Amino acid sequence: MNDHITIFVNGIRIRIYRGMKVKHALIARDYLLYAAALEGRLAVYDDSGFRVGLEGALHDGARITTREVA
Amino acid sequence: MNRFVRLSALITLAFLLICSPFPSHASPAVSLTILHVNDLHGYILPFEDKTLDPDSLSGGAAYLAQIIERERFKNPEGTLLLAAGDMFQGTPISNIFRGRPVIEIMNLLRFEAMAIGNHEFDWGRDALAELIATANFPFLSANITDTQGRPIQGTRPYVILTRKNVRIAIIGVTTTETAYTTKPANVSDLVFSHPEKILPDVISEVRSQGAGLVIILSHLGFDADRELAAKVRGIDVIVGGHSHTAVTRPVNVGETLVVQAGYYGLYLGVLELKYDTSTGKAVGYGRDSGLRRVSAAPGSLFDEDVSRIVEKYHRQIKAEYSRIVGSTSVDLTKSPDRESNIGNLICDSMIEATGANIAFQNSGGIRSDISKGDITLEEAFDLLPFDNTLVVMDLTGHQILQLLEQNAGGEQKILQVAGLKVEYDLSRPPGARVLRVLVAEDPLRDTQVYRVVTNDFLAVGGDRFDTFTQGTNIVYGDPLRDVFIHYLSKHSPVRPEIDGRIIFLNP
Repeated sequence: MNDHITIFVNGIRIRIYRGMKVKHALIARDYLLYAAALEGRLAVYDDSGFRVGLEGALHDGARITTREVA
Repeated sequence: MNRFVRLSALITLAFLLICSPFPSHASPAVSLTILHVNDLHGYILPFEDKTLDPDSLSGGAAYLAQIIERERFKNPEGTLLLAAGDMFQGTPISNIFRGRPVIEIMNLLRFEAMAIGNHEFDWGRDALAELIATANFPFLSANITDTQGRPIQGTRPYVILTRKNVRIAIIGVTTTETAYTTKPANVSDLVFSHPEKILPDVISEVRSQGAGLVIILSHLGFDADRELAAKVRGIDVIVGGHSHTAVTRPVNVGETLVVQAGYYGLYLGVLELKYDTSTGKAVGYGRDSGLRRVSAAPGSLFDEDVSRIVEKYHRQIKAEYSRIVGSTSVDLTKSPDRESNIGNLICDSMIEATGANIAFQNSGGIRSDISKGDITLEEAFDLLPFDNTLVVMDLTGHQILQLLEQNAGGEQKILQVAGLKVEYDLSRPPGARVLRVLVAEDPLRDTQVYRVVTNDFLAVGGDRFDTFTQGTNIVYGDPLRDVFIHYLSKHSPVRPEIDGRIIFLNP
């Protein structure tokens, strides 16, 4: 079994270990994204437009986007 | 129309209804309400979520309970309350008491069933068995068995309940990721089958027992739930968890409805299902179906009985935080740019817990100093406040050398280490600053594969140590803080020294 999965964060492809979560994908993409999400300045959404938590599990090929909180 | 005519019309209509060949009790539509939560992760106290409410607290079991009772009151004979897994692990108030506060609350709220989530295995099988024994509701998973094909002790694949004369099968499924995202010792004797392979037979079984409605209580994640709905026939509803997705409106996949209620008790999921007794099918859902946000803002209603349970444990946790978990004969002092004795101690605990050759811990994750003397649980939390988990991987000597070279860069706080000694000459150019590396007294070899333990922050390239993302044979371990506390309890009084693991020449 492959150790890695592919995730798209704001359209950018990244690879993280299988079993890792939304927060890991943000850290891998850019730690500042994660810090902003922790502080509540950004929220994370899946490709259906539903909000997901930072500890949420990720599926291989998942696409997540960050949006500024109004 | 005068009053007489209107009265005559009403009498005629009433007569026609009374004489109707379709008596009212034969109305085929039954209204069922599925209330659901998932991934509570022990969040029974209200907490701050600025993305939802910048001014007030959100969540909290007492506030959630109030909304559950309000929704249940609307359809008392036709309501089910379900949990889609990962209910216990995640907060001090739940972790310290091994999920007991959550089970007490779930019993009080009369949950009907719960899917087993991957994090239900975090505290080992004995702790899980105790939770199962304490619960007044069944723990479900149809795809976890022992090697003989039997369910885990105390669990079952499904339960069939009756509401308004409708027999409702609730079948649990658990992510197969559990096999490799959980500490191996906790799951090594279990088989996690792919849900799409086992569910057709289980669905046939429950249908043969008269189940008219089939609900999959899933801890697979929203994407996997949608795939499951597309692949497996005969599922009416999937109530999901694992991906922490706030599914604000039910999603149709073929004839299946997929729902999920976010995480941490921020929402209660409400699915008002229309079930046709003549066809035995769910035919739609009420427009009020969706998520109810749980707010703990001043003035919000809460359940007093649940509040008492939360307060009981909250009071105890303050005493628990002052519990002594170990002691040290020397002051434990962190350093962002040099070897530190507390860094050495933490890394030593990581090696002991995993048997790895080498340990790396980011200095930025070590947040406080500890004075000589007793060490309390609160000090351990202050020292390691992040909920990091150990990750063990294979790296080559060449990759380790890359990490160590970057460690001399001064661009970020350094990595603390165990299992190796490294000597730098900072007068040399970048890329050539590592003079010597010894692993267990032997020189580091470029092509040799070493077992390396780090934390999940570094494993995804945190602090720009990207080489950690190139590991292979990944195994997840226990939470770092738990590992450290266990080490303290075993080896106290500890006396870690700065023993020359990281030496900088010509700084």
